[in-house]
Formats: sequence, structure tokens, C-alpha cells
Amino acid sequence: MLGFSTKSDKARAEFEGLVAPWLDSLYGGALRLTRNERDAEDLVQDTVMRAYRFFDKFERGTNFRAWLFKILTNTFINGYRRQVKERSLGDESERQSVEAQFFSSDTTDQAQNPEDYLLQRVMSDDVLKAIDTLPIDFRMVVILADLQEFSYKEIADILDVPVGTVMSRLFRGRRQLEAVLRKREQVEDAPLVDLNAYRERKKLA
Amino acid sequence: MPYLDGELVEADRLEVEKHLADCTPCAKQTEVSRHNRTLVRTLARAATPPMPEALRAKVFTRVRSEQAGQRQGRFLRLSAAAAGVALCAFVGHHQWRSFQRKLYVDDAASRHARQFPLEVRVPQPEALEAWFDGKLGHRVAVPRFPNAVAEGARVLNVREKQAAYIRYDAPTRASAQPRQVGLFVFGDNGNDIDVGARGEAELGNSNGYNVVTWREGDIVYQLVTDLEEDDIRELLPADPGHRPPPPVPVGRPALDVQPASFQR
Repeated sequence: MLGFSTKSDKARAEFEGLVAPWLDSLYGGALRLTRNERDAEDLVQDTVMRAYRFFDKFERGTNFRAWLFKILTNTFINGYRRQVKERSLGDESERQSVEAQFFSSDTTDQAQNPEDYLLQRVMSDDVLKAIDTLPIDFRMVVILADLQEFSYKEIADILDVPVGTVMSRLFRGRRQLEAVLRKREQVEDAPLVDLNAYRERKKLA
Repeated sequence: MPYLDGELVEADRLEVEKHLADCTPCAKQTEVSRHNRTLVRTLARAATPPMPEALRAKVFTRVRSEQAGQRQGRFLRLSAAAAGVALCAFVGHHQWRSFQRKLYVDDAASRHARQFPLEVRVPQPEALEAWFDGKLGHRVAVPRFPNAVAEGARVLNVREKQAAYIRYDAPTRASAQPRQVGLFVFGDNGNDIDVGARGEAELGNSNGYNVVTWREGDIVYQLVTDLEEDDIRELLPADPGHRPPPPVPVGRPALDVQPASFQR
């Protein structure tokens, strides 16, 4: 009489087993997309529930993590993006269009010296803040490529854009990110750390 | 750049490497890009926190309660199709209750078995109660077991119920090595777990664990352990007037679990 429950218990267990290893990275991605913990928590929950509901549609043997992130970014774009935008109307970087932002003299000037090493005194927190200043289209690609280490092809599938678009957005996103970090380096009056010393430390680590 | 991201096909990659070997400016630029890319990745990853445990628990709770809802819906449909609605509602309800209870026993046992990391490690029940304060929808009274020492605690679900989970080390008669005991404490004001209506504890088992379930008002306690039954009786504060205990199923005289609120 109760045999019918076995299948769904099994499916649920399978789903839980597949999703558990990626919760941390989903949460990390959601934090950078929404830029605040409360929305990130909601976004992760919505993403997992949606993934569970559509779990029958997931083709076994294909890339589950990429499938999860497709749901994450779609959920974000469809719901949270509008919400987040409304909340951050005062935020200049979000209000500018992607192109306007990219070609604004401010950032291009900074990007003129691409030979510069970013130095170790850039702190972890600065990197996250800098990612958060990127316009959403660049930010998504940088998050997927540099935080989540997806391939260009996977990112193209996740965002439903051509690989060429992924490459150009990633290139421009990274360049802008470096510009922001370099600017921050100049603003902060911390003593310079020797690059060789940094490399030595990295070797040891 | 695609080269650094490992996105070039073999032939193109070799081409680029050949060029880099001869062209100092390009080689320098590549080195800078490689450095910056690594630095950004390393720092970003280092600054990204893991998912909070409470959120993790909440996510699984929602998945499980969604499944329970679907199952209940299917159960009702199947039942109605299988037999007369009235008869089935009566029989079905009874079986449903015991089936549900068994699911909680199984889930508590399997979660205890999985040895989830503890979020707080202190032995004092008061400190654990303070730690749980505000984390769950109910107050958590941490039972004092005379012989067992708490190792620590965390938030951990039993099925869709968010529960306080406290792990103890308990002595055994057979060996000097203490055994682990896990205790789940969760709110059940909907009376989903059919236990303890008359104040008694139930002894069940699942996956090789003994699971003792009892209720104190709206709060359900589930104790999971691989201790033998006798050792469980030793552990739980029995009423001295009622020893030796009768065999299973354990009634009130055998496992007279004192409500935690009376133990203060």
C-alpha cells in the first residue's frame, strides 16, 4: 500500500545528494549576484526549490552544477534583478548602461596601463567589492568564470548567449575589475608590498 | 584571455606559446594577466563565506516538506481510487500516522549516523540552551542525563522539522569506551508525530540504531543511539521506584523520561 512512496523518496534522496556539494558555491554566486546576504539566502532557496520541482527535466549524466547555475541566474534575472535595481537607484554604477559605464573616461583611463601587476595589498574584501561594482552582464560572466570556474562553453549555455559574447564580456569585465582594484590601490595609502616577497609567500603556501 | 583560461585548442595553444617565446612584450603582458587573474580568483574565493548552516537546514527542510506534500496528495488520490472513501479514510489515517512516525524515526537515525559537524562544542547544558536561543521557533530545554556528557550541538532537521541536535557521550556497561548519543528536540504543535499522547516513551529502531521518542507538550524528543537497551535505561533518568523495567515496548515505568523543564 505504501510502495508508491519509494520512488519519490529515491528521487528526493538523489536530488539531495546531487545538490549538497554545490550549496556553498550556489550561495557564493548568489551573494555576488544580489550583493546582500538576505537576498542571497532567498535566491538560493528559490533556486533549489525550482531545481527540485524540475528535477525530472534534468538529464541524468549531464552537468548538474551548470544546470543549477542556469536556474540560479535565470531566477535572479527574472525576479531579483528588478528588485535589487529598485533598491539601488542611488547607485550610479547600476544606473549607467553597460556601454556608458565601460566607455566612461574614468574607467578607461584606469585601464590604460594593463601591464601593471595588481599587488598583494589588495585585500580579499576589495576584490568582492570591486566585483560588486561591475554592471550585471559583466558581473555574471566574471562570477561564473573566475569564482565558479566554468568554461566559456558552460557559461554560454548557462546564460544562453554565444561563446563570443562570453569572451568579450569576460575580457571587459576583468579589465574593468582590474581598473577598480588599481584605483583602490592608489587611494589606500598602505605601504607597498614587494612582489617578489608575495611570490615567495605564494610558493610556500 | 582564452589562452590563460585554457580555452584554446591544442594547435592554437602551441601557436600562442611559440609566439610568447619570441615576443617579450606579449610574454610580459601574459605574465601580468596570469598574475592578476590568479590573484583575483584566490582572493575572491578566500573571501566567499560558506553557506550558513541554518540556511542549509532550511533548504533541505523545504525540499522535504514539498516532497511530503506531494506524497500526501498522491496518497489521498490513490486511497480514494483503491477503496471506498470512508473506509479508506479511517484505515488510511491510522496507517498514515504510524507510517509517518516511522519516517521520523528513520530520518533521525540516518541523520545521526551521518555525523554532521557540530556548530558549537560545550558540555554545559545551560551554554547549549543559550546557543539555541532564538535559532529555532521554540525554546530548547537541553535534558540533563546524569551519566552522559554533552559534546556539542547544532541545528539539524528531522524530516521537515527544524530541530536542535545535541550529541552526548554516554558510558556503557560492556566497555570502557563511551558511545555517542544524539538527541533531536523539535516543535510539533500539529501533532504530526504520533507519540506520547499518554506521556510514555516509544522505543523503535532503524538502521541498527535504537531510537527513543517521547513528547513533552508540543515538543518532541528523539534520542538516537547504538547503545543497548539496558544502557539506554541507565542513561535516561528512571524513576527509582519502578525498576527493574519491563520489556519493550517501553512504557512509562521503564523509561520515565523526566520532562527537561522539571530537571532544573
